[in-house]
Amino acid sequence: MTIGVKKVSLHRTARDQVFLPAILEGLLTSARHFFKNTMTKGMGDVDTIRYGEPDVDIKTYYPDRFRGVHRLMYRDDGSVRCVACMCCSTVCPAKCIYIVAEDRQDNAEKGPASFVIDELKCVVCGLCVEACPCDAIRMDTKQHMTPTERREDAVLGKVELMSRGGPSVATQGGLGPEFRAVAPQADPRFGQ
Amino acid sequence: MANSDTPSSATLPPRLPDPPPPASRTVAPSATGSVRIPEVSAAKPPMAPNLPAEPVEGQPTVRVVIDGTEVVVRKGTNVLEAAKLAGKDICHFCYHPGLSIAASCRQCLVEIEKNPKLQPSCQQTVAEGMVVHTESPTVLEARRALLEFTLKNHPIDCPICDKAGECTLQRHYMDHDHQLTRVDVPKIRKPKHKDIGREIVLDAERCILCSRCVRFCEEIPKTGELGMQFRGENESLDVAEGHPLDNAYSMNVVDICPVGALTAKDFRFAIRAWELRSTHTTCTGCATGCAVELHHRHEQAYRIVPRFDATTNGHWMCDEGRHTYKELEPSRRVRRARVDGEEVLLGHAVAMAARRLRGRGRKVAVVFSAAASNEANLALADLASLIGAERYIVGRPAGKGDDVLRDADKNPNARGAAAAAGAAKHEGELALELAGRAYEAVVFLDGTFEASDVVGSALCAITSVCLADRAGPLSDACTIVLPASSWAETTGSLINRHGRLRVLRPAWRAEGDRRERADLIRELVLAMGERDIGSARERSRAIAEQHGSSELAALVSDAKATRPTLLRFSHSRG
Repeated sequence: MTIGVKKVSLHRTARDQVFLPAILEGLLTSARHFFKNTMTKGMGDVDTIRYGEPDVDIKTYYPDRFRGVHRLMYRDDGSVRCVACMCCSTVCPAKCIYIVAEDRQDNAEKGPASFVIDELKCVVCGLCVEACPCDAIRMDTKQHMTPTERREDAVLGKVELMSRGGPSVATQGGLGPEFRAVAPQADPRFGQ
Repeated sequence: MANSDTPSSATLPPRLPDPPPPASRTVAPSATGSVRIPEVSAAKPPMAPNLPAEPVEGQPTVRVVIDGTEVVVRKGTNVLEAAKLAGKDICHFCYHPGLSIAASCRQCLVEIEKNPKLQPSCQQTVAEGMVVHTESPTVLEARRALLEFTLKNHPIDCPICDKAGECTLQRHYMDHDHQLTRVDVPKIRKPKHKDIGREIVLDAERCILCSRCVRFCEEIPKTGELGMQFRGENESLDVAEGHPLDNAYSMNVVDICPVGALTAKDFRFAIRAWELRSTHTTCTGCATGCAVELHHRHEQAYRIVPRFDATTNGHWMCDEGRHTYKELEPSRRVRRARVDGEEVLLGHAVAMAARRLRGRGRKVAVVFSAAASNEANLALADLASLIGAERYIVGRPAGKGDDVLRDADKNPNARGAAAAAGAAKHEGELALELAGRAYEAVVFLDGTFEASDVVGSALCAITSVCLADRAGPLSDACTIVLPASSWAETTGSLINRHGRLRVLRPAWRAEGDRRERADLIRELVLAMGERDIGSARERSRAIAEQHGSSELAALVSDAKATRPTLLRFSHSRG
């Protein structure tokens, strides 16, 4: 197979030698964009997101898998879903998750007495979400960690993390006997 | 593993002549003072009915072929142990080398030629010329099928299970099964987090019915609290009504449980197993000196578990010993030296102590401790002979003992301390003399001595030096407190009730001004302007030579030997 080669003539015409027409051509292009994007309605073909302006909802621009500030999800009864298995704190490469476990005195048995994430240390890798076996920790808030005046304000506790949370759609305690009907859709390996 | 560094009586080098009885012994130990004591080979640890496979000289052997490898093993051992010798780890749940054989889990099935069916390798005794296949397709299929069967009613609540990370079922699933569940019927529900005794919580759902714990309670403490009830898949482990599991060895069932069915209340939800670091050391709870692993993280101890030692404790240890890690509580540690109630620099405190002890014609008493290491006691003996001090020896009060492992003498180093102290008077006399203000200065090796109020006020009035690792009544009463390292920060040796050398390994580096006791005493002696009596490390080396202990010798010469291992990379327990 031959490769097509574009041959460019290095010969300069008188028009090229003068430069002025090319400069004018460039100015014309700039002027065309200027008038199109400022005078027409709907911003022309500008892709710039006007970040921070009040009428712009930044979340609509972010992809679904965007990783923002963490949040903790609820159980059906409103208590935290986390069972303090320490998978997230173990996998965390920045070691920014600190959990102290406690006996919950109910059927869930184990839960976090304290759940602290240092958002200043966090490298926003999302491994904690991957590691979580019970859909307790998520990073889908689409919120950036806002700058704080004091370091302590960037260290979020269980209450702050749960204030962003919501009920999880994952079935509590697994799918149960119906899993054969549902599981193949969730994981094709089940169908084998 | 068998502690080959502690020689049994058969492999001992020629003994030194027995020392004369303590009463007539003269007081003259020097820097090379010896704590060598003849070994007593009477009491044997509770050992397995199962013979290890290693051939023993003079015992009959058989020749078996395991996966094409020919091995010579001891006659009477089982196929599972023989395979271990051949480097093949056959997966199993119910077999434990320290217990009788039940062959109930069927996980260890192997193929034996000329035998029509798969055989449980734990129960199958080796025979001459036996050809065993542990990895044939039939065996692998059986293993996989049995694991799936075992997992049928297992709740798989690993996220909240204390055993996760060191669970045998998890390991076997990853190694041999590793398939998605095919179970589409509800799992059998059984009692969860049931309090069955002083130390133990039972989760009957997680139980895989291996009956190790049942056999343990019947065979080692011989109390038999645990039992199986109901039949088939409703079979569950339980205690009888009104008879909780509270024998002195109950926490061993947590170690031998291959899953998280039996968990310790003390360790419940404290930390995940994979976060822990493990240091092989010796229990300081009593004179038995069981080989243990101290599990710790960030200079905090979380639990003590037994380590196999054929000469001392077998596979087990007592509950009392497991709680000794609480002495290491960071909030109670003495971190800085104190003189007359004020925190001072260590060098300053040592200089003050040296000046106050030095005075001409002062009556000084030194107090040896049966709870401190040989190194510390020998250093104190040197101090005593240098300043001509009166010798006393103190120890913890006697407690309960039995004929399994526990000793009534709660001092880990009673024999070593007595040998180092020579002719020393006992604590009753010390209390009397101190209350009568017979001494102007006294040096305590640790905080073991229990000072009454009268003695306490007497100590406040004289120069009393205490080498304390944790705050206690004695260190509070003493005028000079030097911060010493605890047993988890010390490289040292103990001598147990059988006269065997037991080794203390440091789990973490002592923080702050904490130093080893022998080093503190050395600094004290140097500050007095006396000759160098040698560091703790030199003493350990000398003791290792005297006893022929390669374990202790390695510890003082090789920095790597003191490094704890991460439990994540060690094998599962149970």
